[in-house]
Amino acid sequence: MNQIADVLVIAEQIQTDLQSISLELLGAARQLAGKLGVGVQAIIMGHNIGDIPQTLIHSGADEVFVVDQPELAEYTTLTYRRALITVLESLPRTPHIILCGATTIGRDLAPRIAAYFKTGMTADCTELDIGDYEHKSKVDPSKIGIYHNCLYSIRPSFGESLKARIIGPWRNPQMATARSGAMEPIQPDTSRSGNIVPVKVNFQETDFRVKVIETIRDVASNVDLTKAKVIISGGFGLGGPEGFDIVRDLASVFKDSAVGSSRRGVNAGWISYSHQVGQTGKTVRPELYIALGISGAIQHRVGMGKSKTIIAINKDESAPIFQYAHYGIVGDLFVVVPLLKEQFKKALASAGRG
Amino acid sequence: MSKGFRMAVLVKQVPDTSSVAGVNPDGTVDRARAKKMMNPYDKYALQKALEIKSAYGGEIIVISMGPPPAIDILYEALEYGADKGYLLTDKQLAASDTLSTAYALYNVIQFLGKVDIVFTGLQTTDGDTAQTGPQIAERLDIPQVTYCEELEINNGRVRASRVIEGGKQWLDLPLPCLITVANSAGKIGHKRFANVYKMKELLRDKESLSKMVFVVSLADIGADPNLTGLAGSPTVVGKTWKLGEIGGSCVMFKGESPAHEVELLVNRLIENHCGIEELLK
Ligand SMILES: Cc1cc2nc3c(=O)[nH]c(=O)nc-3n(C[C@H](O)[C@H](O)[C@H](O)COP(=O)(O)OP(=O)(O)OC[C@H]3O[C@@H](n4cnc5c(N)ncnc54)[C@H](O)[C@@H]3O)c2cc1C
Ligand SMILES: Nc1ncnc2c1ncn2[C@@H]1O[C@H](COP(=O)(O)O)[C@@H](O)[C@H]1O
Repeated sequence: MNQIADVLVIAEQIQTDLQSISLELLGAARQLAGKLGVGVQAIIMGHNIGDIPQTLIHSGADEVFVVDQPELAEYTTLTYRRALITVLESLPRTPHIILCGATTIGRDLAPRIAAYFKTGMTADCTELDIGDYEHKSKVDPSKIGIYHNCLYSIRPSFGESLKARIIGPWRNPQMATARSGAMEPIQPDTSRSGNIVPVKVNFQETDFRVKVIETIRDVASNVDLTKAKVIISGGFGLGGPEGFDIVRDLASVFKDSAVGSSRRGVNAGWISYSHQVGQTGKTVRPELYIALGISGAIQHRVGMGKSKTIIAINKDESAPIFQYAHYGIVGDLFVVVPLLKEQFKKALASAGRG
Repeated sequence: MSKGFRMAVLVKQVPDTSSVAGVNPDGTVDRARAKKMMNPYDKYALQKALEIKSAYGGEIIVISMGPPPAIDILYEALEYGADKGYLLTDKQLAASDTLSTAYALYNVIQFLGKVDIVFTGLQTTDGDTAQTGPQIAERLDIPQVTYCEELEINNGRVRASRVIEGGKQWLDLPLPCLITVANSAGKIGHKRFANVYKMKELLRDKESLSKMVFVVSLADIGADPNLTGLAGSPTVVGKTWKLGEIGGSCVMFKGESPAHEVELLVNRLIENHCGIEELLK
C-alpha cells in the first residue's frame, strides 16, 4: 500500500447541473496524483444527481463518494458541511490533498471544513504542484525539517511579492481552492471505470438552522467568459462606456467570442462586473485574448496570463502588458482596431472561407 | 428582548493601493512605503451593521487584529458611528495564517460575551482569502451567510440574500450568526459631523477614549499563544517570485503606419499557426 493518501476533489452541482469547475479540479487532481503515484477521489453531494458520479469518473476520478439525499437538494453551509465531514471521517485514510472550487459555494464551505480539521488551506489558487519543502524558521522548532510531496498552492499575493507558493506539510488534508478557469480538465473518456460509493449521512437538528427561501438563477444572463474561445477586453484606455462599442465590434468577427474588461472599466461603470477579468474577477484562458487600452497590472494578469495567444494594443510602449503579451501593437486603439478588423476579414478571405 | 442587537464588525488595516505612495506602476505594493487604510471590503460590513443599528437599535463593536497603528481604523469606524473598538495586538501574532487569525479573533468575540451578529468583509485586499469569516463561524459553531447583500431581522429571525453564480439566494436563519458582506451591497455613507467632532474630543480626552477603545493582548483575552502566529499556523509562504521576470518575449509592432503594423501582425499570426483562421467567422 502506498504511503501517500489520495487526492480528493469536492465536486459541485447546482440544481443537478454539474459545475465545470469540478472537471477542472479533476484535471488538476490527476496531475497531482500522477506526481504522487496515488489515486483521485471525488465527493458529490446533492439530490437526484443522476449520472453525475459516472461523469466524474470519465473526467478523471477513480473513486466517487456519493451523498444523494433530499436534505441536500439545495446547498446550505451546514447540511453540506455535515455530509462532507461524514464522508471524510468515514475514509480509512485522510486524503493527502483536498481541492475545492473558489466559487460562492466552495469559498463558503471549504474554510469551515479546514477549520473543523484544523488544517491549512490556501484560497483562490491559480496553479497547483507537488514538491519538496525545507522549513528552517526557528520560531517553532517542532516544524523544522525537510518535507517531501508537499502541495504547492500557488496564488497571486499582494504583500511584498507578486506570486506566492503556500505550503502546509505538517497536517493532512492539505487544502486549496482553485479559481474557475485556472485548471485544465482532461479529455473525458467514457471507457474509464471507477468505484462509486454511496454514503448515508445522519443529519443533526442544528444542521438545518439555515433554510433556503428562494433561489433565483438566470444562467443565460451569466456572461460565460470562462468558456469563450476568444476574449476581447477593454480597459480605461477606452475613455468611456461607448468605447466598448469598438470592443464589441472587434469581437463580432470571431465565432465564439466574449467581451471582457479590466477592473477600472468596471469601476468606472462602463460595463457590468460579470465582464471583469482578473484577481477579483474571472480567470480565463481562451485561445486568443486581445487587450485594448489595458495597462496590464498584476491583478489583471493573474486572470488572463494563461491565454494561449495574447495581443495587446496600447499607446504606451512601456505599459506592463507588453512584458507578457505575445504580440503588441503600440498605437491608438481607436485607429488600430478598425484596421485590425479589416485585416482579420482579409485573412479569412484568403483562408478561403470569407 | 433587550433593545436592539449587539454586533461585532471585524476590520483590518491594509496597504492603500489607491495611493501612489508605495504602489508600483505594475500594481505591486511596497509594504514599507505604502500608506495604510481600512480594508475597503470591511466598509461594506460596517455599513450593514450601521443599517441594522439604525433600523432596530443596538451596539456596534469593531474589532481588529494588527500592529498598534491599526488603532487608526478603529477611530475611523467610530467616526462612521461604531460604539466601541477592540484592537488585539501581540508580538506572538506575527505571521498568522487564516486559521490562526480566525482563532485569535474568535477569542476576542468570546471575550466580549454575547454577540448577536458578527460581520466581516468579504475578503481583504492583502490576505485576500475570504476564509477568516467562515473559519470564525466554525469555531463559534454558528450559521453563516457569505456574499451577503441584503439583510433584515424579524422576530429574531434573519432574512438574508447572498450572491451565487448567475443569481442570488434568500436565506432564513436564527441569531447568532456570522455575515460576510459582499462588495455589491450598499456603500458606506458619509461620516456624521457630530461623530467626527466627538472623535476629535476623545483623542484629547484619553480617559474617556480608554473606555471606548481597548487595546488587548492574547493574555488579556485568554487565548492560547501556541495556537496563534507562526506557531499556530498550519501554512507558511514557501517562496515568492515576481511574475514579470518570466515575460519579455513580446513581439512588438510599432511604426509610422498603423495599417502596415496591423498587416504585419496578422501575417505573423498566420505564419505562426495560431489557429486564427479557425477562430474567425
Ligand atoms: C486588490 C485588487 C484587486 C484587483 N483586481 C483586479 C481585477 O480583477 N482585474 C483588473 O483588471 N484589475 C484589478 N485591479 C486593478 C489593477 O491594479 C489596475 O488598476 C487595473 O487593472 C487597471 O485597469 P486598466 O488597465 O484598464 O487602466 P489603466 O491602468 O489606467 O490603463 C489604461 C491603459 O490604456 C492605455 N491607453 C489610453 N488611451 C489609449 C488609446 N487611445 N489607445 C491605446 N491605449 C490607450 C494607457 O496607456 C494605459 O496603459 C485590482 C486591484 C487591487 C488592489
Ligand atoms: N487581522 C484582522 N483583523 C480583523 N479582521 C480581520 C483580520 N483579518 C481578516 N479579518 C476579517 O476577515 C475578512 C476576510 O479576510 P481574509 O480572509 O483575509 O480575506 C476581512 O474582511 C475582515 O473582516
